Amino acid sequence: MDILQHLSAVLSLEVMWFIALGTLGGLVIGALPGLTATMGVALLIPLTFGMAPVAGLNMLIGIYIGGIYGGCISAILLRTPGTPSSAATVLDGYPLAQKGEAGKALGMATIASFVGGLFAAIVLATLAPQLASIALKFGAPEYFALALFGLTIIASLSGDLLKGAIAGLLGVLISTVGADPISGVSRYTFGLPGFAAGLSFTPALIGLFALSEVFVQLEKIVGDKIVTLKVSGRWPNRAEMRESVPALLRGSLIGTVIGIVPGVGSGTASWIAYNEARRASKTPEKFGTGHVPGVAATESANNAVCAAALIPLLALGIPGDVVTAVLMGGLMIQGLAPGPMLFESRPDIIVGIFGGTFLATVFMFIFGMLGIGLFSRILLIPKRLLTMSIVTFCFIGAFSINLNPVDLYTMVAFGVLGYVMQKFGFSQAALCIAMILGPMAEANLRRGLLQTRDNVLEFVSGPITITFLVLTVLSLLWPLLRDLKARRRMAEQPN
Amino acid sequence: MLRPVSAILGACALLAAGAAAAQDFPARPVQVVVPYAAGGGTDLSARIMADVFQKHLKGPPMVIRNQPGGGGAIGTSAALHARPDGYTLGMGAQGPLALLPHYGGTDYKLDDVQFIALMGRNLQLVVACAKAPFSDFKAFMAYAKANPKGIQVGNSGAGGANHIAMEAFGRVAEVSFENVPFGGASEAMTACVGGHVHAMVATPAEALPHAKSGAIKPLFIMEEKRIDTFPDTPTAIEGGVKFTWSSWKGVIGPKGMPADVVAKLQEALKATFTDEEFVRRMQDLGEFVDYRDGAAYEELARNDSQTAEAIIRDLGMYQMNK
Repeated sequence: MDILQHLSAVLSLEVMWFIALGTLGGLVIGALPGLTATMGVALLIPLTFGMAPVAGLNMLIGIYIGGIYGGCISAILLRTPGTPSSAATVLDGYPLAQKGEAGKALGMATIASFVGGLFAAIVLATLAPQLASIALKFGAPEYFALALFGLTIIASLSGDLLKGAIAGLLGVLISTVGADPISGVSRYTFGLPGFAAGLSFTPALIGLFALSEVFVQLEKIVGDKIVTLKVSGRWPNRAEMRESVPALLRGSLIGTVIGIVPGVGSGTASWIAYNEARRASKTPEKFGTGHVPGVAATESANNAVCAAALIPLLALGIPGDVVTAVLMGGLMIQGLAPGPMLFESRPDIIVGIFGGTFLATVFMFIFGMLGIGLFSRILLIPKRLLTMSIVTFCFIGAFSINLNPVDLYTMVAFGVLGYVMQKFGFSQAALCIAMILGPMAEANLRRGLLQTRDNVLEFVSGPITITFLVLTVLSLLWPLLRDLKARRRMAEQPN
Repeated sequence: MLRPVSAILGACALLAAGAAAAQDFPARPVQVVVPYAAGGGTDLSARIMADVFQKHLKGPPMVIRNQPGGGGAIGTSAALHARPDGYTLGMGAQGPLALLPHYGGTDYKLDDVQFIALMGRNLQLVVACAKAPFSDFKAFMAYAKANPKGIQVGNSGAGGANHIAMEAFGRVAEVSFENVPFGGASEAMTACVGGHVHAMVATPAEALPHAKSGAIKPLFIMEEKRIDTFPDTPTAIEGGVKFTWSSWKGVIGPKGMPADVVAKLQEALKATFTDEEFVRRMQDLGEFVDYRDGAAYEELARNDSQTAEAIIRDLGMYQMNK
């Protein structure tokens, strides 16, 4: 009875209006490169000061959910991840759009975001207090082992193993620029204060994927022939849907678990989900060429992270990522300290947030589905104009994050780097993954060894650590085992 | 005949132009650079300030600009190197002003700062984390004395405010700790609640929900007197260690601003920081408002800078980034 009463507060027209508005706003913010869900939430917090808590908070959650979804639109259409969490969607989304199947890619991304978001929202509403404790089990060794496991994705994603390893190591090397995580000493900054906090990740990502693609496109349109892409196929067909179901479920589950672990984030979740979908697929070679399940995996994972990241926030007062940290600020402003006490003292807020999460996910689905036709039309813009607008957006996006001119140099440098990598067959994905996970691996390895006084055996003694280390080894051996199996099968076959 | 009149008028006009700087101020929006990302404590406080400021200085609204990076050095530098006309100010926090210049690599010094008004302080509470072998100040000190470097204390970043605070405390109390740096306060708190470190330095607002749920236990506060949020938590002084420390933030600008503009800003900021609405909204956010005028703000900054320099030299971190 109580729950129904609290729910009715969410279902009031006013609150629903704010959720819809937030989700739509988030979608736009997410789709624009450089404007991330974090910024959207942070900039709109002051607007929620005067609102009722349930309305204000749910509007912010709407922005969050809409923002993470919106990132896929520009990733698929323009190869420009609107938010870092959509970087992995570029891999299959963009080739699909280039084949004239933008509708199919966007359709699957929308369905996947909906399924992932819904899955995690159900987990949030039913199991939040029970699952939140996972968040507390991760100490330095556990984070290190998880990051190491994540890094093995490079081996299976990059085709040419040697080139992949080079790209990955380059990414790890680049990620060491900036303040040393343990001693605070500046590394490789060349005395430039702008690099003191390290190379900014989003500008680097924009350069790596979007600007480099502009260079590639420039080569193609030098002849001044106007290529217009076909835009068709609103829905993935039944076979593709069926093929994507395992990827969807895997992505939702991976996104939910990773979302609960604080500080790992939707970028990592979508890369791992992509890799697992590929590994489990009967046709792994199709991934990266415009394969619908590839989009299903990444987008279900990154939207599952949204609702899942609310689990440790609400149940323990621990924000799982940057956006939830900002949301926590929003809660505190309302005089609400998140944590186990909130469940007892203000069940109306908790139920309100659960309800709002569901509603925002539904609104995201509706807006996404209605918008697909409109979004895809972007590709009908003559390529010369479109390319020019992308360049403009690359610069605006890279600058708007920190208003730091150094970020523009970073973006352009990564654009050139990305172009060269593409030309010589180095995996940009490997570089991107290494830049996300390198710092996590380094900081936690060193922090953990500091805490165990360099006792390596103690460092690797926890059950979670051991599990991830074993997974790491298996993940590295997997391609070898598969080859071996295939060879044996070949040998067994009679001539 | 007309000449003397026009000369007088002209002189008046000139005088008026001189005075116009302060009289018309602000003719366009005053921009405040927040050297941290949007959504953090300093950013939200600045936004509340901008909101209330409008009540006390009529004119175009105050605008907040986030320029994060380099532990606050980038935005602080931008504010201190802006044109000194009062239209670009900055949030001046302890880390970038009193600590970072000692590590080297900043392009400003404390002498470049025009202190306008102190907004508030972030009080420093030391808490015992989950699974720690102590739960009050006495036991904490006894354990620290028995196990030099045996207590692992989480902090929000190497060389940051609460790292220095703990080192400074250790020197006064004659004990030593193993300081474990994390990437930000919330990461450190997560490790603390999970029992991956023994203790940590936090603000009362950060600690409150976890102290209420029983996940962590407050040990002592680095203040002169006990605070309202944690009335049962003793100060270090009560426990026999004469030590206080807090971090702080206020409004600063570049040196060389017109004196009357500074005066006008000081007056408006004083009215803002003592405004009931401002204080109430800051309290809701868990912030501790402590208005002080420019001179007192500067004294606080110089004192802390001096204390920090000695510690940073001791740690071998002095000018390490030069």
